[in-house]
Amino acid sequence: MHWKTRSRLTSWLLGIVTIGFLLFQWAPMFTMFTLSFAGENGGTTFPMNGVSLHWYHKLWEADLFDDFKPPMLRSFLLALACSATTVVLSVCAAQAMRGRFRGNGLYFYLLLLGLMAPGILVGFGFAILTRLLGIEGAWNTTAYVVHVSWALPFGFLTMLAVFNRFDPRLEEAALTLGANRVTAFRRITWPIILPGIIGTALFGFSLSYDEYARTLFTAGSDGTLPLAVMATLDRQLTPELYAIGTVTTAMSLTVIALCVIGFWLRARALRGRPS
Amino acid sequence: MSTIRLRSPAAFWLALPAGLWMLLAVVLPVLLIVWVSLWGGTTVSPNNPITFDNYQRFLSNENYLWLIGDTLLQTAMIMTITGVMGYCIAYFLTVKVTSPGWRLALFLAFVIPFWTSTLIRAIAFVPFLGVNGLLNQALMGIGLIERPIQAFLYSRLGISMAQVSLYTLLASGPVVYMLNSIPPALREAAMTLKAPPIIVFWRIVLPLTLPGIIIGQVLVFLNVLADFITVTTVGGNKLAFLGNLILLFYEGSQIRMTAVVSVLLMLLMLAGVAIALRIVDIRKVGS
Repeated sequence: MHWKTRSRLTSWLLGIVTIGFLLFQWAPMFTMFTLSFAGENGGTTFPMNGVSLHWYHKLWEADLFDDFKPPMLRSFLLALACSATTVVLSVCAAQAMRGRFRGNGLYFYLLLLGLMAPGILVGFGFAILTRLLGIEGAWNTTAYVVHVSWALPFGFLTMLAVFNRFDPRLEEAALTLGANRVTAFRRITWPIILPGIIGTALFGFSLSYDEYARTLFTAGSDGTLPLAVMATLDRQLTPELYAIGTVTTAMSLTVIALCVIGFWLRARALRGRPS
Repeated sequence: MSTIRLRSPAAFWLALPAGLWMLLAVVLPVLLIVWVSLWGGTTVSPNNPITFDNYQRFLSNENYLWLIGDTLLQTAMIMTITGVMGYCIAYFLTVKVTSPGWRLALFLAFVIPFWTSTLIRAIAFVPFLGVNGLLNQALMGIGLIERPIQAFLYSRLGISMAQVSLYTLLASGPVVYMLNSIPPALREAAMTLKAPPIIVFWRIVLPLTLPGIIIGQVLVFLNVLADFITVTTVGGNKLAFLGNLILLFYEGSQIRMTAVVSVLLMLLMLAGVAIALRIVDIRKVGS
């Protein structure tokens, strides 16, 4: 949108608020990144007492109690599973919404409920449910079910938005030319909605990977990475936590960057295609 | 005609898995919380009679009532701050920044932290706000203060700063969406008719973005009300809000009391959403 700017003063004021907020938003993260490279005698705050990879080294060689590697692996696998499940369920649900089945209005609110209900309530309620049923909670069973219920509304809304902007004449053309519905979906619909699917997969992964409240109540004895981080923080804050924070943030940023590059490559490939 | 037939059984069967999943993982657990909160008797068991005793016990404690009021106060404060800041940022990014490259860069800088861990971002506030933290160093560097301010960390001030940083995007995002959907012609028409900029904003832009403001406020309301992570990490367990109380009762194995606080939290949230729905019709926003 290109609105002519009338007032320079408001521009400046709004610009200062925006830049100020962005600095304020990023400064703590940069503090953490910087301090994670503190020297061996460095504490959890400035001065750093030298620059080293000591805390990363310590992270890698951690002993039995502080070992972040197994929780990290669990978090990663759980996030992958959650991502895949979210993609399948939200594509099905959004495709079903196009069919306007009976009760689709209520169904919409049912899925949106997962977005509104706070993690602490969902987690606690699910813990009651498993206790009543006599099921032992574990990261790859109960926590998985709850994680998907958290990512699903995001994926569902993303896919709904994608299908709303979708030109139905493309499918009609394929069907008129004799393709059956499955072929038309596979050859026409699927490639068009692929960017939305990447977005959904990203939501599924990062929402599960970073989830704390829901996991806390449902993961059982073997925790995920956020639980391990919180348990360590409860004992003592060390630069090791900054190192783990930097590593997970770097991982999140890499996943986002990969998706952005994927979008860009796809857009470029589509532009280069003869029409 | 599309790849799915209208009102076909196929649509129903496709919808079923996600619907069942949400019923099992969200609706049923929440209903169970309500049921557990009504369990009476001296032992925790489903066979006990249904009573409101647990609620009576909780609500007769004055401290808990204060805690509820305190949580609401904190939520209202964060809603106000994030609402104003979020609107300013949304307006600046969509209306004032005209270069597409700059807009994308600033927008990414605004959105990217949302995709990283909230827990890690909250923890990052500890070295930022501490006595030797970056904020104190910066303030001393400019010469605004002479000695580091201790009250940043492990205080309500610190919690509020972290919450503003974490939740402003929620208040801002829906406004960005609504601002983008205003046809430029509307504003131009008002300008042609000689309306001063402030009137254009007040009579045209603000009413058209109101649904975005309300949705953003609902998101912030729901998140701050249930937030316990920021309070434990940045607040250092010195303060407690409703979310922390739920966790405290749960860790003390007081399941029925946990359920009672959870139900009260739920009621507060439902009330908030109901008020918001009276102001805007959310279903109309998407169309």
